[in-house]
Amino acid sequence: MEYSNLRRQIICMKKSLFDQGYLDEQFNQLEELQDESSPNFVEEVVVLFFNDSSRLLTNIEQTLEKYPQDFYQLDSLVHQLKGSGTSIGAIRMKNECSVFKAHCNDKSLEGSLQKMKREHATLKKKLETYFQLMRQAGPRERAVNSRK
Amino acid sequence: MAAAAPSPAPVPSSSPKVASPKAGDRKVVPVTVAEEVVLEEKHVLAVDDSSVDRAIIAKILRSSKYRVTTVESATRALELLGLGLLPDVNMIITDYWMPGMTGYELLKRVKESSKLKEIPVVIMSSENVPNRISRCLEEGAEDFLLKPVRPSDVSRLCNRIR
Repeated sequence: MEYSNLRRQIICMKKSLFDQGYLDEQFNQLEELQDESSPNFVEEVVVLFFNDSSRLLTNIEQTLEKYPQDFYQLDSLVHQLKGSGTSIGAIRMKNECSVFKAHCNDKSLEGSLQKMKREHATLKKKLETYFQLMRQAGPRERAVNSRK
Repeated sequence: MAAAAPSPAPVPSSSPKVASPKAGDRKVVPVTVAEEVVLEEKHVLAVDDSSVDRAIIAKILRSSKYRVTTVESATRALELLGLGLLPDVNMIITDYWMPGMTGYELLKRVKESSKLKEIPVVIMSSENVPNRISRCLEEGAEDFLLKPVRPSDVSRLCNRIR
């Protein structure tokens, strides 16, 4: 009874993450790679992403505060952030990075940075909840999910 | 790739190196079988500065039964290759854009080296830039993959690995 509730919650949550555009097909690709030899693969990769991306956002913020602004460095940092976001299917993060890059020549970078940070925080919270549900459901749920 | 392997013996991926018969070792026949299996198991060196992408490419390769070594920079890759610490690499797969030495520069160094030039080098990039792609292929890259890399991209490569 409790298990099927959990399952429903997970399926709902995943659907909403996709419908609202937080995640795309690449996330499914990662779930397909998950198997018995690495049953927590997706969560591990997502954790790597948030470690990396948190560091990158901090660096971006620090770089923005320097004068004159080092656009080469900024571009490099955002490129890295965009790349790893794309690799986990975090499509909204990826788009925020593209917007940021486009604004590199404007004065509106500060606003873009705040948007990126908000997007990052929202995605982190949602994925933390998602993986919490997955862990509650146990290994059987992973097998079911990765078949999608 | 593993599907094509005629050898029926399962290869535990945790023990990539099968020891040659040591003095006082048990059997002779299984060692011969194991040696054949070792030849089948290809070793790929994956180079990427992103920990996320390293994890993903390694997983894709290991799922296809390759042995994988990952490094986070082209400099480190050349270091290990130069020191002879990776003597049996069958393929190098590298990100194009990395801080410090790029994947393109790594490709050039590999192709310039008499020791390393036979190793096929595959470039990965998140950007679809035709000039970049043709430059890499001209420089001797085996293939150019767009990120995010999929398992189907990798299985395409498997026949090219010597």
